[in-house]
Amino acid sequence: MTAAASRLDDMFIALADPTRRAIVARLARGDATVNELAAPFDMTLPGISKHLKVLERCGLITRTRSAQFRPCHLERAALDEVADWIAENQRIWSQRFDKLDQHLRGLQGMPGTAPPQHGEDIHE
Amino acid sequence: MSDQPQAGELTYTRVFDAPRELVFQCMTEPEHLTHFWGPAGVSTPRENITVDLRPGGAFEAVMVNDADGSSYEMHAVYVEISEPERLVWTDPGTGMTTTSTFTDLGGNRTEVRIHQVNVPEPFRSPEAQAGFVTSLDRCADYLSRLVSGEASR
Repeated sequence: MTAAASRLDDMFIALADPTRRAIVARLARGDATVNELAAPFDMTLPGISKHLKVLERCGLITRTRSAQFRPCHLERAALDEVADWIAENQRIWSQRFDKLDQHLRGLQGMPGTAPPQHGEDIHE
Repeated sequence: MSDQPQAGELTYTRVFDAPRELVFQCMTEPEHLTHFWGPAGVSTPRENITVDLRPGGAFEAVMVNDADGSSYEMHAVYVEISEPERLVWTDPGTGMTTTSTFTDLGGNRTEVRIHQVNVPEPFRSPEAQAGFVTSLDRCADYLSRLVSGEASR
């Protein structure tokens, strides 16, 4: 497995948790400290820190090293990677189903199929 | 009871103007699969498709990229075949299970719902990366909201 695939894997696992998704949503609005992130949740600071470590390990967030607050920052490029992957797979199923739709129309003699070949008899 | 999406679940739904039996056949017969299994720009020759339609039987395909000839393999095993309403296969390499549900909507229309679980695992194999998974559905919407307007600052 490639490193990129492994990272994507880790990002999906990280986003599998509703609390972590909420943290990501909060950080999408701007950097925040651990205290600020913990505020909306009924959760201890160590509990939130655990979630932040998961998000940090897979590269979805970074924490600056300055001062004692260490605000968390959402890495948009990493999130884009996840969204791109999802979009790509959506595209594949969509195209597959487009083709299936055409195939089904052809089987049933419905319009929308490939036009008749030139030189062939067209039966009324 | 909850309809909350579990992360790791992907769904994709499409309605076809065709009877359910026919749609089911298309999803289970190589003669049909060869016409649509590869997405745009990707072919799946008839001889590259193996369907052994029974629980434990193989569902395999080698898809070929039309542009550069590169190929992607899929090796799955059927888990459940309930013609014409339900079809389940699993990829032992990735642990990902795909359930296709065929719903007769009446009036010659059929809804196909693809539901896949164990989403993180597919990244472990190159063939899965080639695209044997679907959209993360609501999670995808959620992410697209994040990535687009709402996330910009």
